[in-house]
Amino acid sequence: MTVTVIPEATVQTTGGTTRATLRRNFWRGVWRVLRRKPSRMAGVVIVLLFAVMGLIGPLLYPDHLPRDDNALYSPPSLQHPFGTDFEGTDVLALVVTGARYVLLTGLATAVITVALGTAIGLFAGFRRGRWDTALMRLTDMNLAIPGLPLLLVLSAVWKFESPIEMGLVLGLLGWGGVARAVRSQTLSLRERGFIEAARGLGLPTTHIIGRELLPSMAPYIAMNMLIAVTGAVYAQVGLFFLGVLPFEANNWGVMLNLAVFNGGALTTPAALPYLLAPLLAILLLTLGIVLIVDAMDEIFNPRLREE
Amino acid sequence: MKRLAAIAALASVATATACGSGTGTSTGTSAGTSDPSGGVYTTIDGSKQINASAPVNPFNPVGSVFAGYNGMTLAWPKNDPIDPNQFYPALASDWTATPDQSEVVIHLQPKARWSDGKPVTSEDVRVSIGLAYTQGGTAYALDPKAAGAAATIQVVDPRTIRITQGANKSGTFLSNLLSTVVVPAHVFGSLLPADFWHTLKVAQDGTGAAADRAKAVITGLAEKVIAFSPPRDVSAGPFVLERVNPGAALLKRNPYFYNSGLIGPDKVKVLNYTGNEQIWNYLIAGKLDNAPFTSVPTAVMDRIRETRGSQVIKGYSPVSTSMAFNQSRKPYDNVHVRRALAYLIDRNQVTRIASPEGGTAAATTSGIHAKAAKAWLGDGFGALDPYRFDPAKAAAELRAAGMTRKGDRWAMPDGTPWKVEIHVPASFSDWVSAAKSITSQLSDHGIDATVVTAADYTLYLGELAAGKYDVGFWLIGLGPSPYNIFQRLFGQANGWQMFGGHLKHVAPGAEGNWMGGPETVDGVNPGELTSRLQFASPDEQKRIVASLARVANEQLPVVQLWDYVNTQFVNTSRYTAFPPDDSDALRLSSGVWMQLGMIKKRQA
Repeated sequence: MTVTVIPEATVQTTGGTTRATLRRNFWRGVWRVLRRKPSRMAGVVIVLLFAVMGLIGPLLYPDHLPRDDNALYSPPSLQHPFGTDFEGTDVLALVVTGARYVLLTGLATAVITVALGTAIGLFAGFRRGRWDTALMRLTDMNLAIPGLPLLLVLSAVWKFESPIEMGLVLGLLGWGGVARAVRSQTLSLRERGFIEAARGLGLPTTHIIGRELLPSMAPYIAMNMLIAVTGAVYAQVGLFFLGVLPFEANNWGVMLNLAVFNGGALTTPAALPYLLAPLLAILLLTLGIVLIVDAMDEIFNPRLREE
Repeated sequence: MKRLAAIAALASVATATACGSGTGTSTGTSAGTSDPSGGVYTTIDGSKQINASAPVNPFNPVGSVFAGYNGMTLAWPKNDPIDPNQFYPALASDWTATPDQSEVVIHLQPKARWSDGKPVTSEDVRVSIGLAYTQGGTAYALDPKAAGAAATIQVVDPRTIRITQGANKSGTFLSNLLSTVVVPAHVFGSLLPADFWHTLKVAQDGTGAAADRAKAVITGLAEKVIAFSPPRDVSAGPFVLERVNPGAALLKRNPYFYNSGLIGPDKVKVLNYTGNEQIWNYLIAGKLDNAPFTSVPTAVMDRIRETRGSQVIKGYSPVSTSMAFNQSRKPYDNVHVRRALAYLIDRNQVTRIASPEGGTAAATTSGIHAKAAKAWLGDGFGALDPYRFDPAKAAAELRAAGMTRKGDRWAMPDGTPWKVEIHVPASFSDWVSAAKSITSQLSDHGIDATVVTAADYTLYLGELAAGKYDVGFWLIGLGPSPYNIFQRLFGQANGWQMFGGHLKHVAPGAEGNWMGGPETVDGVNPGELTSRLQFASPDEQKRIVASLARVANEQLPVVQLWDYVNTQFVNTSRYTAFPPDDSDALRLSSGVWMQLGMIKKRQA
């Protein structure tokens, strides 16, 4: 029996090179997957567009959007591509400046949902036993909470003035599904050979979870995160539409509410552009995310690759 | 907005029927010609939605009793701008009252009968009054010292009832009595215990524990009365409930109605609605023969007008919308700040945005709807400061208040930022858009402002009363009684309360005093003046109203934004003879219009 001793420095160098190569190959793979279907590129462009809109959109307009007192609910024109609202404000400007709140809420919700769901699912699945039982009962309780009624009640005492507050509540309500799924994956993976081997090598639990289990579930978690964004967008726009959350004229849900209840958009075409603009924004954002999820599915699942 | 329309309509009707003064004798309308052609008349009840499981009980807020159809009172209030004593006879054919309203004698319609054929008698009215005591009310208060509380109820004969007023007189007594909902004693009478009237006497005249026990017994009946569900509808109105489902209530003619010959339709269908949009769609489809006051955007109104047979009737509505200040909060305690805000609000623009079809921009702030204000104040109305849009005057007022200018924004006197937070209930879309328009206008002139919505109206009123808001929207001008009009400005919300017949002023922030205004202004106590309106003579009322309107105009506890216009929709394809514009029956239901001989089947 011979023992090969590899100098530590060599291992590190080799390891670093290997990781860099893997990273390079990964991004090349991403690029290939995206190029294969133009729809996926469109998804990336749409999501980037919204990200840019959220980042710099409000900077493109003055703090107080200009109004035209003589153009209430004016029809679409070159000056106002989506017409104007009830007080003559450009609807496109409202959609653009309102994107930041919607996206930040979506992001905060997604991060909290995924972080909590993943942590609880991983821990419960890996430790099993009493921890698993306790955490899964907690998860069951979370899943059993009727989200919308609770939010309606909460809105009576909590004003949700910042998107982070909104995201926090939506995230705290929405982690149950992710936790259950991650736990199932963990229970399955922990019996696989490579985890057995890691255990056999005496690697610490944090290493096994962080370096062995988590990467295997990363695609699933990432996709859940993106889908959580769309869920959060629907939830908060719905709550604003119902009028239970604070008024912001450029909030997409508030726009929908005012278009329907104040402008009669479902009865006459006058306020229809005011209704359609935020709807189109929500539709596009969802479409972009769905197309990216489609690409991610192929990136992370080699079986789906066509080459 | 649907709920606002309902609340505004109810508030105005309630106040219209809640007070009055002087004496009066009215007589019934003469019988009209019979029109037996029938048909089904389709309408909406703006005050409630259809609830298929609700009992046929007028004391139940959602009960399947529709005013004017199968729900009857002693009389129906006319839409008079200043005189709350104008009533159309209903089950009461006529009535007399002494000059101080200490005694009212009511005569019932001689031919009035219930839908089961039994006659409507004084005993029915007495039982109805007994049931009203369980629910509480101004005329039927258990506290005998309460202003306008009834003292004795005496059945003179089967068609005549005499009611006397307690020692603390109120000019609202007559109209409160005439607004009494009448139910059949042979159906509802069992709800009152055999010793009810004795218990009532102990509650009113007794002292100590016995009186408290008696009061508890009577108020303890409230839930039982509300929950009572008669096996079938027994109505003294022109219609009786045939069936009700979640989508509509169907009423058929009551053959025993005392003026049956005046009633045109054979049946009435009261459609359910869940929002204004549903009413708009009904109207555009031509399904409704009449819809009550509904907030309508201009584009929708144009579509409704295009519908065959569609007509819009407009009239006076004694309700105005205002933006009220919490004067215990800085800087709204300073009248100059309030005036500055009044000068910066273009009320025409706000009304054009918020209520283009259902309101007219307020001419000024007087606390009174413009039509009533002109009648009450005459030339004095023109002498009030109109607070026309004037940024220069606003800036001068802000400087006079000591407000400072930091860059292009106004700040508090100590230099800290100032942000006007305007609170509105989220469900009132016209208020939301009005508040947004105001914040935009204020922002244009260097005042940071934002709209803050409350999830619903109940929550809004609770938080408003708790003094949590700096600025909030508030209905005012709820006439025709001048007392009710100024009660909205110088009443409980502003610290004046009646206790045992005595007026007292409570500190801002306590007991519902959210307006926080001063108790006296230049030696005038507006709350005391308002209270005197209850029993003042007509001449004195005019003087007091002039004085209070001036105080309201100078002190601006509120900025009056727009006066509502009662916009009714009718369709003449199937029925004609609807009331004309400005009719004093316009705020009453179609059922009352029919009782008054209106609404006839269109002849082919």
